[in-house]
Amino acid sequence: MSDRSVTPTDAKPWQSIEQLAGTLPPAGEFAAGITEAPHFSSNVSRRGFMALLSASMALTAAACRRPIQKLVPTVKSLQVATPGLPMDYTSVWTNGNVAYGALVRTREGRPIKVRGNDQHSVNRGKASAAMQASLLSLYDPDRIRRTRVNSGQASLENAVVKIADAVSEASAAGKKAVVLTDVHASPSWAALMTEITAAAPAVTFVTVPAVVEDASAMATRALLGVDGELVPDLSKAAVIVSIEADFLGTDPLALYHTGRFAQRRRPGFSDAPMSALHVAESQYTLTGANADARHILHPAQFEQVLAIIEKTIGGSNVGSDIAPSATGSVVSIGEKLASALRSAPAGQAVVLVGRHCSPRAHAIALAVNNTLGAMGTGSILDPAHVLPNSGVKQPAIDALVDDMASGRVHVVIAANVNPEYSGSREFKSALAKVPVRVALNLYEDETAGICSISVPTAHWLETWGDAVAFDGTLSVRQPMIAPLNEGIPGVEDTLIAVTKKLNAAFLGETADYYTYVKNRWTALLGASGNAEAAWTKALQDGVVPQSPTPNTVVLNVASASALPTSGLTQGKVVVALPALSVGSGADANNGWLQELADPVTKITWDNVALMSPATAVALGLAPSKEAKDVVKANESVVTLTTAGGSIDVPVWVQVGMADDVIATQLGYGRTKAGSVGTAVGSNAYALAERGGVTSYRTLSGVRPTGKKHRVATTQSHHTLDDGNGERSSIARTVSTADLASGRLPDLNPHYIDQGEDKNGNYKVPLSITPDYKYKGHKWGMVIDMSSCTGCSSCVIACQSENNIPVVGKDQVLRGREMHWIRIDRYYRGDMDNPMTVVEPMLCQHCDNAPCENVCPVAATTHSPEGLNEMTYNRCVGTRYCLNNCPYKVRRFNFLNYHDGKEKSPLDLVFNPDVTTRMRGVMEKCTFCVQRINDAKYHAKDAGRARVLDGEVVTACQEACPAGAIIFGDTNDPNSAVSKARIHERRFQVLAELNVRPSVTYLAKVYNTDKKMLPESGGH
Amino acid sequence: MTDHGQIRESLVLGNPSIRDVTARIASIVESKITIKYLLTLGFTATLAGWGLFALYYTITTGIGVWGLNNPLGWGWDITNFVFWIGIGHAGTLISAILFLFRQKWRTAINRSAEAMTIFAVVCALTMVLSHTGRPWLFYWLLPFPNQMQMWINFRSPLAWDVFAVNTYFTVSALFWFVGLIPDLATMRNYVKSEIAKKVFGVLSLGWTGSTRHWHHYEIAYMLLAGISTPLVLSVHSVVSFDFTVGILPGWHTTIFPPYFVAGAIFSGFAMVMTLLVIVREILDLKQFITLKHLDNMNKIMLATGMMVGYAYILEFFIAWYSGSDWEKWIFLNRMFGDYAWAYWAMFTCNVVSPQVFWFASNRRNIPLMFIISIFINIGMWFERFTIIATTLHHDFLPASWGYYSPTWVEVSIFIGTFGIFLTLFLLFAKFVPVIAIAEVKSIMPGAQPAHHHHDHEHDHVAVGSGTVTEKVH
Repeated sequence: MSDRSVTPTDAKPWQSIEQLAGTLPPAGEFAAGITEAPHFSSNVSRRGFMALLSASMALTAAACRRPIQKLVPTVKSLQVATPGLPMDYTSVWTNGNVAYGALVRTREGRPIKVRGNDQHSVNRGKASAAMQASLLSLYDPDRIRRTRVNSGQASLENAVVKIADAVSEASAAGKKAVVLTDVHASPSWAALMTEITAAAPAVTFVTVPAVVEDASAMATRALLGVDGELVPDLSKAAVIVSIEADFLGTDPLALYHTGRFAQRRRPGFSDAPMSALHVAESQYTLTGANADARHILHPAQFEQVLAIIEKTIGGSNVGSDIAPSATGSVVSIGEKLASALRSAPAGQAVVLVGRHCSPRAHAIALAVNNTLGAMGTGSILDPAHVLPNSGVKQPAIDALVDDMASGRVHVVIAANVNPEYSGSREFKSALAKVPVRVALNLYEDETAGICSISVPTAHWLETWGDAVAFDGTLSVRQPMIAPLNEGIPGVEDTLIAVTKKLNAAFLGETADYYTYVKNRWTALLGASGNAEAAWTKALQDGVVPQSPTPNTVVLNVASASALPTSGLTQGKVVVALPALSVGSGADANNGWLQELADPVTKITWDNVALMSPATAVALGLAPSKEAKDVVKANESVVTLTTAGGSIDVPVWVQVGMADDVIATQLGYGRTKAGSVGTAVGSNAYALAERGGVTSYRTLSGVRPTGKKHRVATTQSHHTLDDGNGERSSIARTVSTADLASGRLPDLNPHYIDQGEDKNGNYKVPLSITPDYKYKGHKWGMVIDMSSCTGCSSCVIACQSENNIPVVGKDQVLRGREMHWIRIDRYYRGDMDNPMTVVEPMLCQHCDNAPCENVCPVAATTHSPEGLNEMTYNRCVGTRYCLNNCPYKVRRFNFLNYHDGKEKSPLDLVFNPDVTTRMRGVMEKCTFCVQRINDAKYHAKDAGRARVLDGEVVTACQEACPAGAIIFGDTNDPNSAVSKARIHERRFQVLAELNVRPSVTYLAKVYNTDKKMLPESGGH
Repeated sequence: MTDHGQIRESLVLGNPSIRDVTARIASIVESKITIKYLLTLGFTATLAGWGLFALYYTITTGIGVWGLNNPLGWGWDITNFVFWIGIGHAGTLISAILFLFRQKWRTAINRSAEAMTIFAVVCALTMVLSHTGRPWLFYWLLPFPNQMQMWINFRSPLAWDVFAVNTYFTVSALFWFVGLIPDLATMRNYVKSEIAKKVFGVLSLGWTGSTRHWHHYEIAYMLLAGISTPLVLSVHSVVSFDFTVGILPGWHTTIFPPYFVAGAIFSGFAMVMTLLVIVREILDLKQFITLKHLDNMNKIMLATGMMVGYAYILEFFIAWYSGSDWEKWIFLNRMFGDYAWAYWAMFTCNVVSPQVFWFASNRRNIPLMFIISIFINIGMWFERFTIIATTLHHDFLPASWGYYSPTWVEVSIFIGTFGIFLTLFLLFAKFVPVIAIAEVKSIMPGAQPAHHHHDHEHDHVAVGSGTVTEKVH
């Protein structure tokens, strides 16, 4: 049952096979306890004496010895570590205060893949790009390894003593020692913070996340009396109106929302009718890209539209003072949205507001939702579903700034936060006045740079912890590996050690975070019987379902009406939201995320100033709004100035944005991120004054600098229109009206109009030789473009699974990104407010593959199971296959992207089941052939001749939160993929070339009454 | 009918004796190496060295040092390969086909044209060997028994290329060498240096000039000409299959084989012209390479230029006639897309510029023909570039569209191939008789021992012919 123990001697992932296989025998072979290493507290036996004797030597090097900490794999995993075979452990990954269940695959004791835990109710086994990419940060060679005091190395003990001394000084002087923390979802950490303050009263905690967005909590606090954000369940919504809410994109809850939203976006696959998404926004967000109807508003109009909605729907008057200011199109948009909301069945419509909008906007939306019946236990907005730690934060931060500025703070300990990078100018100048500054961090970052003491901390995959989801689900965070850098503790353990120095009685004998967490959990779980067994089960399952505390809601409209509005007026405004890839900047040194193209702009490795074509023209950057003219504005660097400060960013013209709005991204412009993230883009936090970094701000100036900055995109042409008509057959779209009109016409274009028989074979064969008959398995994939939102989880899932290299900005500029699956994004329709189609594109494993016959050395061939196989060893690199691939999904190693000289420990991130490729070799999607083979071995072990449906899950499919990817055996008529392949929305990209792709797409569906297909069908 | 003394212009000017011819041409080899020659050779060798350095850099670092990217897997590399292979075709045409058709004017230029063929194929091989991602595994492209039990993929046009180009190189080299044997023997007899005598002696394979030798030689030469003739058509047809077998619009067209062959001859003649205009000037061979020769070559360039022009226009018709939207679009994109500049450069150079050769005075205007031949060289390079780049940069899915520009490395390699080509040519011009001495003699007035034969067959013509011959004498 229990198998791997994490002890300080496990400091390296593994050193030898013997050490690797050093597992405890199964329970029962020896008497209980006999196999456990001796504890200092136990009575000294003969064995113990020997251990102590040798430990005394080790003591000279190690200050303390942690007790054995047992990890528990999942029930489906191998239970005993076996060289060459994977083990799966549950854990929990938190995106700020949002907890997502994780399932981490380890090989030889090192984590190689982060997946979702399907037992977890929030993400249901799915994983976001950032969640999966956090694996790479674990092995980041730029992570700090040594404790630093001033400019010299010091022992951890020494640093802890220094910190404790400083806190004592503070305490003696009647001053504060403040720990700056990030938002979190951990009940144990919250409890520990309380206990630390109780044990050492000088120590207080202030939450200073990079991005503070209080508006939502202010609204719920005023209107409902709940200090925190409510989390909606969009699978219950038939009509969703989003005012600037990017719940599918930059929102920390996007992984959860994407899953729930997509549940009702797959006509023909779910019983619930398709939901409709109406978006009114000023940027072009990923949510807007998925909208059925999209309206463009200036940020000054958000509250007006909401007020019109409220007025039209009636029932409350939170925005009654704003409604009269709305005019013209704003009124009509508001009324349209209101009528959409009213068209939904009772309780099935919801209004969402962007977390960076004003408190009043949120309050109006809440009131409208209440009127619509969307609020209540079991409804879309359950008042019990409050995001943990999401209460109002700005007042505490403001008070801290005052305290620091006026010398009331003696010590600041930045615990995994980076205020020197993300803080306002005011915060930074106040911070500079604090005499003792300490950083507990993964990196020697901007904040560590101004701290006299810097203590490295462990990664989430290296430390114990726990997290609670908004729906009450509890999870334990298990470490997957001992800290790679020997003896590095988590933030919690460092603070426990500091507190222990201040108050020797703190937490008693075993003062460490593992014990602390375990004790809390066993106390919680022990109420229902055997605590140890319950703890083991909690680790196995990764979840302990708990009901959240119910909230009783009393509407207080009066106090909601007093909430502040954005105060914006028409005119130039700027907004900076966390980037969809690198987030708020903590992940800036993660190459996978830096190279992940934004699904809307397709930009990598940079932040830009997005603006509408008209705005670019107005700024004199482009001669006209014509497409060929307006692109001239791209890459011109402009200086954006607000009351907070100014930044230089390159312009990127984005269609579908509101005029006068400039949108940029946070998370870039790091000055001390590491070798990957330093000096990538510019720091948009500089635009913020005190608080509310993501709010829209009035621009006091936009000045072209005359300079150019190259921006690396992964797509250079953005529409299906090739200048001579639309290539609509590549990415088919239909509407619910088309679906309702009966059977769809065949969506495949036919150049050879001769028909197919009922098996899908051409009546008149296209070849003089008979088609190959696939007798065993025949692998195929279906991608539902209707549920795909473009979130790009699949891209990172594939990168992690298949050891795909990061090539860097220069190579992306040259068009050499290596992703095996890419998200093609096309705009359609009116270019002032275009619709978007996203289409995941990967090797189509054509049965009549054009790449195969042109390879002179037969390096790419067809398998008897329908896979288009690439034999790296045989490839000489003529690139003919790449040229002849009509989908251009083949990727060539132009340079030695994997030179085998990866800085340690980065080489440990590779999946040992997949070879890395040298330069001069072609590569591409394999349909995760290593997983197919693994499933075949298992089937053989189980005495089966065939793999069962669902046993092979490709990496992209596994991660896809929208469930848009179905993979399986198309020779099995009952498999999910076979059923999906004959769906009426099916089409194959470039079917007319007779390449016979194994990937079938299902047309994107827009929920609209307008028919999109011509009556006569395709051509 | 075969009268060349009066009705046709004389192919050798100045009425030299047989001995004069030998002395004039052999003296080029025998004369001292001048500083001017060394400087020129140094310059071309530097170019070659620079190109080889760029190749070394490519092979040790990776194809990534070139400008290629995802949609454009080929760029200057294959453009240069096709360009050089095309250049070679004129040599084969002149030596083989014109020989079989008894075009006597070829004798003055066939030696250098054949040499040019070989050197061009060397350049082409350099390009094709170095363009792969892992060039050290080039031998995997050859069918040989191996422990992997792997054959090459016989369905791949690149495999066909390997055979076509290797055959071409082998046959061309043999043909050239066999044609050289009588002249090498002449040189053996002519040169004074002992070492040179030995070298020429070994190379001339014991040639004595006996009737038996001549008899065998003529048969061998005829056979090799026969073997080479289909190569003129096949090699570039096979090269064109690299494109036509692909499924990409703009590549997948049936007109490519004849169009490529015409283009190859076109570009080959242009290159021969460029070189000969220089050579006849520098080595003072105006006597042998007369305006008549140049005029004939210009006529061929005009004809083949019209052929490629016809192909360019026909492609548009076929694109429209095919009914394929992809096909239609790619040709519109050629004319008006991102690479329109390359297309129009090609069209202007290849179709418009040779039109000046409709006028006889232009066909004999040396500066003009030199300029036009350079234009054609440029145009034919752009033809291959246009085919590769326009098709690849915008194919089916707009999301994967791209653009390509070469880096300094690719440009250096291209310049380097010119360096290799010119260096080899300079060495050839200095150390091997640049004009086929024996063959030139054969077309000199009165040198045809076959006259009696003719007399027999066509009495009335033969009488006239004989009279003329006498008059000349």
